Amino acid sequence: MKDDAYHRNRRVLVLVEREGPSIAPITFELLGIGKKIVFEINGTLCAAVLGQHINDLSERIALFADEIYSLDHPLADEFRPDLYATALEQLCRETNPQVVLIGCTLNNLDLAPRVAHRMGVQLITDCINLSIESGSGHLLCAKPVFGGKVIATFKLEKKPYIVTFRPKVIDPIESGSKRGKIIPFTPVINGSSANVTLIKNIQQDRNQINKAEAIVSGGRGIKDEGGLEKLKGLVRVLRKYFDIVELGASRPLVDAHLVPSSRQIGLTGEKAAPKVYIAIGISGSLQHMTGVLGAKKIVAINNSPKAYIFQVADYGVIGDFEEVVPALCKKLEEL
Amino acid sequence: MNPLQIIVCAKQVPDPEGPADAFEVNPEGKKVIPVGIPPVINPYDENALELALRIKEQYGAVVTIISMGETLAQPVLRKALAAGADNLILLIDPLFQGLTSQSIAYVLYKAIRRIGSYDLILTGRQASDWDFGVTGIFIGEMLQIPVVHLAQKIEIEEGHVLVEKLYDNGYQVVKAPIPVLVTVSSESGELRYVSVQALRAVSKKPVVICTAKDLELDERELMTWQIFNLNKFGEKRECFFVEGETLEEKGENLALKLRQDAII
Repeated sequence: MKDDAYHRNRRVLVLVEREGPSIAPITFELLGIGKKIVFEINGTLCAAVLGQHINDLSERIALFADEIYSLDHPLADEFRPDLYATALEQLCRETNPQVVLIGCTLNNLDLAPRVAHRMGVQLITDCINLSIESGSGHLLCAKPVFGGKVIATFKLEKKPYIVTFRPKVIDPIESGSKRGKIIPFTPVINGSSANVTLIKNIQQDRNQINKAEAIVSGGRGIKDEGGLEKLKGLVRVLRKYFDIVELGASRPLVDAHLVPSSRQIGLTGEKAAPKVYIAIGISGSLQHMTGVLGAKKIVAINNSPKAYIFQVADYGVIGDFEEVVPALCKKLEEL
Repeated sequence: MNPLQIIVCAKQVPDPEGPADAFEVNPEGKKVIPVGIPPVINPYDENALELALRIKEQYGAVVTIISMGETLAQPVLRKALAAGADNLILLIDPLFQGLTSQSIAYVLYKAIRRIGSYDLILTGRQASDWDFGVTGIFIGEMLQIPVVHLAQKIEIEEGHVLVEKLYDNGYQVVKAPIPVLVTVSSESGELRYVSVQALRAVSKKPVVICTAKDLELDERELMTWQIFNLNKFGEKRECFFVEGETLEEKGENLALKLRQDAII
């Protein structure tokens, strides 16, 4: 593996995101942006799969990437940031990628800084666009800052360029017909180096916010369970029109413990790109709206005509949701 | 048992609750200038401070706050003392302007090394200005101590901590040996109320101020971001307001409009 041609390859490495035995949607978005960069630098699209018994998974990724590094290890079955960081560092040192693309998930925000630190390079998190600067070949990374009020573009000059990329802001890679080469890579990791031990795992309600076609979200305007029930009613009615409909929330509803934090949409929560996003009693702070940058249509129901949400919505109703939403539901049932 | 030594890293930021138009970008497109909004302690770092204070109340601890910046407003950071922290260390130097996350972590790392003894280091999950969310983990890597990311609750046991931490599908309870660095999520709760009287009571309390020279920093480690450009986020949409005689009629008309436009 040490011949010059190998190292001359300009690799763009995508970290495959697993959801148990399946592939998380962000993976295909990363492959999409990876493909764009590969085109700009005339490089090779590569992917790294970490886990145990990951042959099927690697085969599926081989339709989209040229080289698939299969890091099959008994200790890699569950996400463990310190072990994963060690494994990825070893892979980076061996394969010398120019760009490393990692999904911006809670787990990966624990992983990516460790890898960057060990590789001695900078890290840009939560990117929404990437491009190569002509001439220099440096990576330009656009990311929302100041709670989404400003978009900053940072320049990375030292390779490997490592970034985490925000889910749900770009289209996934189109259907693949490649026959990429699957390359086993056994990382040297051992359990004793893991100084943080898992005691228990509490799965909160698993939702499909990141796949939803329609989302009904509530904010500060929802005061109690009764109000929330009206939103849930709208979710049920919308299932007549869309396959996946989910209930979401902005930060105040989560802080009031009306909705679990796994349903919080925004800067520090879930990212979504539904066909229709219905924001009810949500003022529309950019910290929240940055979570639905990719929403096709936004509908706002709010009793304050001055709410910022009406500046970023396509459809608006000014009025108390307690009266508007039941009437909306009834009509939607009839249509 | 000696009281736990807790260090909380806190950043001064422009109040993130300020309106969007209060954040201007300078003509060169390289700097964000907050207009007419006051500096505050980064709200996520306030979550970390609150968690530290709860541990102090439950187990006994000495809580030290460290903050760094090219300039810092003392009254803003004294709020941490008023809330119940014991010591405040300010790292102030013109060299600290525009530093990368790694360099920020390096300065804090040097300050923590200078303090010497620590059981628990807490940081907020991210800063509300640049939203990187990496400084805490970098500090932990530099100190070569375990890091637990996104805590909502911490319990102390002999020689280790039990942390309830968020992850993508819910939360986990993990156990880590002391000393440990823990980043704190907003789920842990807001900082307690700090009264004007409490602020006044700490206004004369001594504060330690250090410069880059005091910390014996290697200046080559202080790198600044290469900002290509900054743009105000400008996406606005044209809102069609659905009308009606009554609120019920508005609700019905919204359904009809969405159907008419083939949204549903």
